This record gives sequence, structure tokens and C-alpha cells, in this order.
Amino acid sequence: MASERATAMRLSVDIGGTFTDLVVERDLELRLFKSPTVPGDPVQGILNVLTMAAEAHAAPLEGFLRGVDTFVHATTRGLNAVLTGNTAKTAFLTTAGHPDVLLLREGGRRQPFDFTVPYPEPYVPRSLTFEVDGRITSTGEVLHPLDLAALERTCDRLLDKQVEAVAVCLLWATVNPEHELAVGEVLRRRLPDVPYTLSHALNPSLREYRRASSTAIDASLKPLMSEYIHSLTSRLREAGLGGRILMVTSMGGVVDVHDASAAPILTINSGPSMAPVAGRAYGTADLGAETVIVADAGGTTYDVTLVRHGEIPTTRTAWIGPEGLGHMTGLPSIDVKSVGAGGGSIAWVDAGGLLHVGPQSAGSVPGPACYGRGGVRATVTDAALVLGYLDPAAFSSGSMTLDPEAALAAVTRDVAGPLGLSAIDAAYAVLELTTEQMVHAIEEITLQQGIDPARAVLVGGGGAAGLNAAAVAGRLGSRRLIVPAVGAALAAAGALMSDLTAVYSATVPALTSAFDIDGVNAALSGLVARCGEFAEHVGATWDDALVTLFAEARYPQQIWELEVPLRVERFASAADVAAFSDDFHATHQQVLGITDAASPVEIVGWGARVRVPLRAAADALTARVTGDAAVSVRQAYVHGVGMTDVPVRPLGTIAPGEMLQGPMLIESPFTTVVVADKSTGTVSDSGSLIIQPRSIHV
Amino acid sequence: MSSGVRDGARMAVLSHRFQAIVRRMSNTLARSGRSGVLNTARDFSCCVLTAAGDVLMTGDSPPIHVMGGPDLQARSMLDFYPVPRAGDAFLHNSPYHGNTHAADHSILVPVVDAAGVHRFTVLAKAHQADCGNSVPTTYMASARDVYEEGALIFPVVRVQEDYEDCEDILRMCEMRIRVPDQWRGDYLAVLGSARIGELAVLQLADEVGWETLDAFANNWLDYSEARMEAVIRELPAGEAITTTCHDPFPGVPDGVPLQAKVTVRPEDGMIDVDLRDNPDCVPSGLNLSEASSRTAALIGVFNSIDAGVPHNQGSFRRIQVHLRENCCVGIVRHPHSTSVATTNLANRVGNIVQRAMAEIGDGIGLAEVGSGMSPSEAVVSGVDRRHGAVPYVNQIFTGPNGGAGAPSADGWLTMSDLGSGGTLLLDSVEIDELKQPIVIHRRALAIDTEGAGRHRGAPGLEVEYGPVAGEMEAVYANDGSINPMMGARGGLAGAPSAQLMRNQDGELVELDICGPVLVQAGERLVARTSGGGGYGDPRDRDPEAVAQDVREGWISRERALEVYGVVVAE
Repeated sequence: MASERATAMRLSVDIGGTFTDLVVERDLELRLFKSPTVPGDPVQGILNVLTMAAEAHAAPLEGFLRGVDTFVHATTRGLNAVLTGNTAKTAFLTTAGHPDVLLLREGGRRQPFDFTVPYPEPYVPRSLTFEVDGRITSTGEVLHPLDLAALERTCDRLLDKQVEAVAVCLLWATVNPEHELAVGEVLRRRLPDVPYTLSHALNPSLREYRRASSTAIDASLKPLMSEYIHSLTSRLREAGLGGRILMVTSMGGVVDVHDASAAPILTINSGPSMAPVAGRAYGTADLGAETVIVADAGGTTYDVTLVRHGEIPTTRTAWIGPEGLGHMTGLPSIDVKSVGAGGGSIAWVDAGGLLHVGPQSAGSVPGPACYGRGGVRATVTDAALVLGYLDPAAFSSGSMTLDPEAALAAVTRDVAGPLGLSAIDAAYAVLELTTEQMVHAIEEITLQQGIDPARAVLVGGGGAAGLNAAAVAGRLGSRRLIVPAVGAALAAAGALMSDLTAVYSATVPALTSAFDIDGVNAALSGLVARCGEFAEHVGATWDDALVTLFAEARYPQQIWELEVPLRVERFASAADVAAFSDDFHATHQQVLGITDAASPVEIVGWGARVRVPLRAAADALTARVTGDAAVSVRQAYVHGVGMTDVPVRPLGTIAPGEMLQGPMLIESPFTTVVVADKSTGTVSDSGSLIIQPRSIHV
Repeated sequence: MSSGVRDGARMAVLSHRFQAIVRRMSNTLARSGRSGVLNTARDFSCCVLTAAGDVLMTGDSPPIHVMGGPDLQARSMLDFYPVPRAGDAFLHNSPYHGNTHAADHSILVPVVDAAGVHRFTVLAKAHQADCGNSVPTTYMASARDVYEEGALIFPVVRVQEDYEDCEDILRMCEMRIRVPDQWRGDYLAVLGSARIGELAVLQLADEVGWETLDAFANNWLDYSEARMEAVIRELPAGEAITTTCHDPFPGVPDGVPLQAKVTVRPEDGMIDVDLRDNPDCVPSGLNLSEASSRTAALIGVFNSIDAGVPHNQGSFRRIQVHLRENCCVGIVRHPHSTSVATTNLANRVGNIVQRAMAEIGDGIGLAEVGSGMSPSEAVVSGVDRRHGAVPYVNQIFTGPNGGAGAPSADGWLTMSDLGSGGTLLLDSVEIDELKQPIVIHRRALAIDTEGAGRHRGAPGLEVEYGPVAGEMEAVYANDGSINPMMGARGGLAGAPSAQLMRNQDGELVELDICGPVLVQAGERLVARTSGGGGYGDPRDRDPEAVAQDVREGWISRERALEVYGVVVAE
């Protein structure tokens, strides 16, 4: 769309817990800026980092912003509000007889022997839950009519209780929405200033808990996010921004800021959703790879996402908070596996002499022992410092110094002593176990999505990416590891590479053994039409829109559906149906290791994903790495050798094409990449560091 | 790599690798299974055993599946096949040879190295939607013996040789198991899970070598035993005898009185559970298999202590479970039936063991977990006439029992029962109404049904459902309607369970504690599940927690005053 305006600037801002990251794209180059997040006024944090960038471009803020074509924004504001319970006072309207949909969730206690974990609270308390008389059945038939008089009385109580938002989720509203629509009308009339969400409109999917949970979360965020988005847009406009403002969604796409305001749950998992977008771009640009594992290592968590055959797989079972204890978003979301394995994870030895890393974390406050901020327990960062992997004088691009003696003391006391190992061996064991936990996280998600990690390229991002990335790649048997130069802000970089996206679904069940071709084709053409409407809505044309159709299918009686892309836009013949069945059997074999070729295939829903690229293919990925640091040597640990002199190479000193040989430490902005064996490396044209793990090219 | 030395760092890495293998097996089973009991309720388990048959690594699964049975099963495999071969797979569901009960179909696959040496065994076990019983339920309480029960019994039967199916056996199953396509699909899922486990162990051995894995297995079991010993040494010494009584049932008109004697011996680092002083096997499906007797006792102990101790043969060595042959909670004697061996008496046994632990010392043990398979968890069957006329049979999981009050937390609302540990998923109302021609009119927590305590038990749930049209049969086997779930250390019992029929005039009629029941169009089953017992004196409960329970409608204002002694203002 804007491809001809290659000189216009595009910005992306990702607000994290500690830092607000800004990536500036100009003249096909990316530059990265970081400024502390301002928790009380996050928009001020954005203005601060923008000012920092304007200064670097030697321009006043207003002039700098005038040159901006697109501003893409990701924020954890909605997510944090849910996690801390700072959302609107929300009422939940449910079908009579079913007040406990949000309380019961879907069962499944995760730790059967642990009786110290209390049963989790519902997203909306029972005291704000109201039953609506009226019942629709699975076929859409009205079993009991809606009791409008009772609904009026319920509205009196909502007014009494001064609720700030209302979530409505009635059984089978997805098959027949008439009761929900009628409730919506009454709410609009009786509580005109209170925002509400209707489940069938937000998330037309089966299973009442998931739909109710999405609806309740969405409604509860409406007041807060409307206010935030209003403040963001008005202050950015005031500061001089003229371009388009977009918000990142949980689906790894972007939407116009006003659409985000109308359905705030769409943006709730925006943080991790952008990493695979960047991972896909670098996988393609640097190595032409279609299947990529993206690992984003932060201070407290390690987030793994995937790219499978160029597509980013999604899940409908994303939780806010711990699985089973938190709240399910219920909407398609980029599939992310997070584990508590970060630089701050605490290493300890139990009474039986077994080493553990985490799940406790020292976070950034009090932080690892070597931060000298009050933390005393040994962490992964302390172990890395003991092994010489970090530069105590210039940690995080020189923004802080570390205390090696504190790290050594902590590792000796907490790990080496109890295990009867030297401090060095103990520190290595900590990193090795951390690597194993990261591999675990990767195996879990690749397994779910049917990907063989050994055939994928690993992309490492995040501030703590470098410590374990090469070891993880070696352990997985990955062909290559890519550490992009903007890896420390992978999410913000991804936001510049994302597209306007939407997903539509149609619940038209079908069975391959009794296939209603006309009914299915009608549903598919309806989906394609909605994709076209989306393209128009975002100001593009039909030709700009890329539409992918898929089926959510399973063997009869299974309950987990597999997503199978369709080869055709409409089924012309029995041969098309047979080809689809074959695709399903192959996917089932790939993901679950078995196939039942004699069985018919049941399709529970049809879907369409539409993507409107924000610009043409000449993606800017190249990052300019500045800095005048020289090549040096540091004492660091090499497995099988011990502490030895290891060359330290600043990324900026490596020319594309130069062949590097480990062991080595490569310092890129905000992270150090540890190559503790004889793996080799190069730098790509885009500025990424590419490591070829030793295990694969012996 | 120093394989012979017990190295806490190396052991940590390898234990993660074995956990990953079990998770991978479980993931395959959950996602490829066909029946609701398998894929929705997740009533299955996977584990890795040593070649000798010691349970090495288990995953998240219903506790009743994996603690004290897989070892017996693996050893029975060696009795019949002393030299198992690569490519073998054995179907095992015999409660007389180490399995839980006939409805749990297990597949055992020996992991054999290139030299033909048997190194490990992997086991995947899944509850079947049907197992060929004489009536359409997998829990046949009224069965006087295994013949009346009617299930096909497979005492270690080879179903694959050289990785190929023995089709004869599969054909037999298809002739005797209802909805054979569904069974076949589940069989594939269980087999696939075991084969994936086998492959993963082989790959791990390729990477680190068999000697390292053998050394790890020894070290891991020793480590687990040491952890268990250390935990027991911190417990107070003591002995407690607790009693209970299963409600009257077909074949046992006076119910089944039970007792457990639990002795904690910190000086030896041992716990004894004696179940020998109990009735002989009864003419009913209630009898426990050896696997479920041992497991129930082990669950009672592990529920009572630090959850961080690994659950494997190493920690099991520190618990002596004394069982008697031909005892209804001991070692079953053929042909007595064990059709409901994973639920009713097993829950009673585990409950009195953990309550005995609580009586031995404050801060340990647990009150009693709600028990019984209420009509809210019935096997429903009939003919679905919404699109033609298709027979259906499936267990629904619409309303679990309440969990028990614990030393530091209230009971878990969706606990279901002791044997499941709350791991079962709860059915979505919409999914149930889609899969079966039923309408679930009501599902909500039942106010004032919690076992009061310093930490209260969870309340029961009320579920009301019936057929959309035509008739429906519901088979269930409840408990706790007469003898409710007891509290511990001064905590009160949970409210008893109840089963009723709402007839076409809207009147409620009491039903027998045990199905089957025929429900006609216009009629509804009304079930209230068991509340869990409380832990500690309810008058010691934090008044703010009592007030919160009143505000949220879990208990009434009157109950807050009468039972907890807390006045909650309007």
C-alpha cells in the first residue's frame, strides 16, 4: 500500500515491564531505542523514547513525528489490568441454571497432590452474576422464551450495583443469537453509558466457558482501554504524529486503533505475538527457512513461538495467568509456550541433592546477586558471570556493572557446596539445566504443533537470548541459529513486519462420508466475502488481500481439532473431498503419529484468514549496529577445557561473510551470544548473527 | 559423563528428559483419543518403568492409575513373556494380574535394545467408553462376579508382534465392545502413545547410552526414596485407626464397613498402612484389585505430605501397605468382580488413610474428598434421533464432587474424587448437548453443602438434565448419600449426595443410589454431588473468609452464624 514511500518512517513501540522499546524503520534500516517504562503514565514513557529517537535523528520531536507514516503499538496494559484485577466492575449475564460457568472453568486440576493451592476465583464474582430466563437448544430451537420482565428487574439491580461493564453469554447463542441480541437492546436502553459485549458477536465458538471468559474479559477492559487509546492517540497527535496508528493483536497482526478499542481483548496477548512475525521475516531473509522456532528470553520468562510452513500456528486455549488457574481468552491467539526460565531464575539444591533452576525468580528486583540490588540467591545470570560469559564492566550495552564476587559467593554457597562441585562446574550445571528447561518448552510446543525441532531454524531474541541460545540449538540438533541484530527487541521489530489481519469462522459441521457440497460451498463463499469486506474496511482493495481458507477437522468423536488448509475455494467434486481427507490423514499422522485411513473426517468449522500486507515485499530488516568497541579476549568457560581465553567480538566488527570459529563471545546490542564450543558463525546481509551448531556439522 | 556417580546435576537433566517422554505420550493420547472419557475427561495415564518393573517416571494423570499397579502389570508381563521382543505390544486389563479394573485398557511395550536386551517398559493406560460388559456401563456395581460383569479380560495378551497388529484379537474386541469404531480409535491412540514412548526412550539411549540410563534409573529411585525418608523423619510419630462405611449397594445391603490402621514411624522413616482387618470379597463390583487397594492407600499418604516428593518406586519403598488375599480392599480373588475398583471403595480407603494422617498431627493429612459416581457422571445411552437414528453410549462428566479441606487451603471445587485427584476435565454443557440428545437444565454449586472447618471442604454441585426427546438410560453408582464425607481434626462432614427424578408433573422422587434408571421425555434426573469434609474446627475459620463465602453465595448467613459463629451483616 505504501511501498512507494520508502523514505517515510515507520515506528513501533512495545511497552514491557521494565523497558519501552522503540524500533525505527527508515531508509530500509532498523534502529533500536530503549527507555524505562513509566508505569503510572505509559504514554509518557512512549513520548520519552520518541524524544530519545528524535534526538538521535537530530530533529525536534514534532518534526521527527511528522515524517512518520505508520505507528504500530503493542502494550501489556490490558493484560496487566487482568492479572492485577484492575479492570472495570463487570456484571456477567448467563443462561438461567448456569451461574457458575466462569467459576467451574473446564475442570482439570493440574497438580493432583498439591493441596496448598486454593481454588481460583471466577473472573466475575458470583455476586455480580445474573441469570437470564430463556433457553435455546443445540439445534437453535427456543425451549423457553426470553423473560423480558425479569430482564428489566435485572437491569434495576445492575444500576443499583453501579456496574461499569456487562458481559452477556447465553447457551447456544452461536447457533441462534436472538436472545443475546434482545438482551443487548435492553441494556442499550436501560444502561446507555455502560459498555457491554455479546458472546456470539465477539467469539462465535462452541464451549460456553471459553466464550463466556472471552466475553467477560473483553467487557471488563472496555472502559480502561477506551480511555488509554484515547489518551494515546490524542497525545501522539498533539506531539505531531500524522500517520496511521495501529495496534498489535494476539493473532500476530495489527488492527486500526479504533477497532482495538471496540474489542480490547483482541490485543491482550500482543507482546509475545510479534516475536514469531519477526522470526519468520529473519528466517526467510537470512536462510530462506519456512519452519522456525522463535525463542524470546527475558529476565523472568522464556517464550517460545513457531512458524510452520510460513504460517504462525494459533491456539484457542490461551490462558491469562497459569493454565487452569487463570482465565482462558477463548479466542485464537498465537500459540506461545512460556516457562519461568530467565536470567533471574534461582538455582537451588533440594534436601535429596538434586539441582533445580526456578520456578522462583529474583526478577530484576532484587535481581541476581551480581546486580548488587539486594538479591543474594544464585541465579542463571550469576552462573553466566562466574563462567565469564558476561562482561561485568559493561552489562546490557554498558548500562550497568555487575559484581563478580557476589556471583561467585552465591553460586558457591547455593549450588557448588551442596552438590560437592567446584564453583565453575556448578555454574555450568546451572546453565545446562536451564538449557534443558528451554528445550522442554520448545519440545512441548513443537510436539503440539507437529514440528520436528531438528528440521527447524532457531531464532533467538530477548535480552537474555545469548546465554543459552547456541546450547539450545545444539541440543535440539537445529540446522541453524539466527540471532537478529534487533533481537533484544524482537517483538517491536516484528510489529513493523506485520500485516492487517482478521479471522472469520463459520460453524457448518460436515462429514466427508456424507458431504453437503452446496452447504459447505455456501459457507466458504460467505467467508471469502467477509474477507473482502475486511479489506475494504481497512482501506485496501480486494487485490491487496491474501485469503487462506482452512477447516477445523477431526476424526468423529475426537474433541481436539486439527487445522487443515484447503486447496480449493470451493469443492467442485468428490475428488476434492477425497483430497481434503488425504490432507487430514497426513496432518494427523504428522501431529499425532497415527492415522485411521478408513475413518471419515468430521469438520466442525470452516475458517478464513485474511491478510492485508501493509507494504510490498522489499522488507527492511537490516539493522545498523553502531559502536566502536574493539575485539578483545576474556577468560570464559569452555566445556571439556575449563576456564580459558576466549575471543570477544562486538557484532559491529564482523563483516558479512566473515567466517567465525567458536569458542567465542559475540556482543550484540543488549545481549551477549555465548558460543562455548567449536560451532561456527557468520553475519548475514541483514546484520543477523548466524550460528551453525557443532552437532550438525561435525 | 560420569554415569556411575550420583550427580545431582546430571540427574536433574535426565529426569527432565524422562518427564518429557511421559508428557509426549500423554499428549498423543489426549489429542488422538476418540471417546469422551479419554479425550475430555482425560481418564488415562502414561509411565516409564525399569526393565525389572519399577515405576520410574509418571506424568500428570488420575493418581489411581499409576501408583501401585503398573509395577504389578510389568512384572506379570515378564511372568508370561520372560524375554519380550522389540515390536511386541501387550494388551492388559486384568485386575487379577495387576491392572486396576477391566475398563482400563493398558498397552505395555517393552523397550528392547539392538542386542535384544529388554531395557525399560512403557505403559499407556486409558479408561474405555465400553469394555464389553453385560450392561452399557464400565462401572457395573451390581455384578456378582466377573461372569455377570461380562467384560473381556486380557491377562497380558500380545496384540502386536514385530510392530504388526494381531488382527484376531482386534476382531474379537470389535464383536464384543459397543461402538466398536470408537473403541478402535481409542485402541490406536493408546498404542500410538506407547509406541511414541518406546521411540523416545530409544532415541535418548542413542544419545547418552544405556548404561547411563540404567545408572540414572537407580539413582533416581534412590534419590526419591531419600526424599521420602527425610519427609517422614519430620512427621510426628503416631498411630491412628479410622473407620468408614460405604453406602448400601446391590449385593451388600448393609454397606461395606472399612477401617485403616496407619502408623507413622519417623525413627525408621517408614509409614505403615494396614488394610487387612476388613471384610472378605463381596458379591458385587465394588471389590478392589490389588492395584487399586495399594494405590488408594498410597494416595492417602501422598495427599498428606509435601507434594514435592517424586512418586515412583523409590518413594513407595518407604510405605508398607499390608493387604490380605480375598479381602474386598485387598487382593481380589478370581472370579470376584472389580468393576468399580477405581472409585467407590478406593475413594473410601484413600479418604480414611489421609484422615488418619490428619489425626496423627496438625498440619498434615487431609479431610475426606467427596466420593461417588453421581448421576451427574453417569454413562448415558439411547438412540439419537436428531439426525436419523444413531445409538449412543458415553460417560458424561457434568458435576464433580467437592474436594477436602486441607491444612492450608479450602477444598477444590471440581475435585471429583480421591482417585482422580481432580485431574478430570469437566464437560462443557454445549459439547454434551451436541454429542448426546440431552438438555442440561441446571449446573450450579449447592449452597451450604460444604464440610465446615478451619479450612472448609468444597460444596457439592447440583445438576439437572434429561433427554431432549425419547428415552435415555443412565447408569451410575453413587456413594455418600447415607455416609457422608467426614471432616478431620474437628472439621465437619460435607453434605450427603442425593439422586432424584423430577417427573413430568415437576415432583421430585428419590432414586436408588445405584443405576440404571430409565428417563422418559419430560423427566429429568436431579443430582447433588458430595460435599468435601472440613479440616479443623469451623469456629477457628478466619471470619473474613466466612464473610466472603456469604457474599459469594457459597454459604448462607444463618450457617455462618450457627456453624462458624460469625455474624455477617446484610
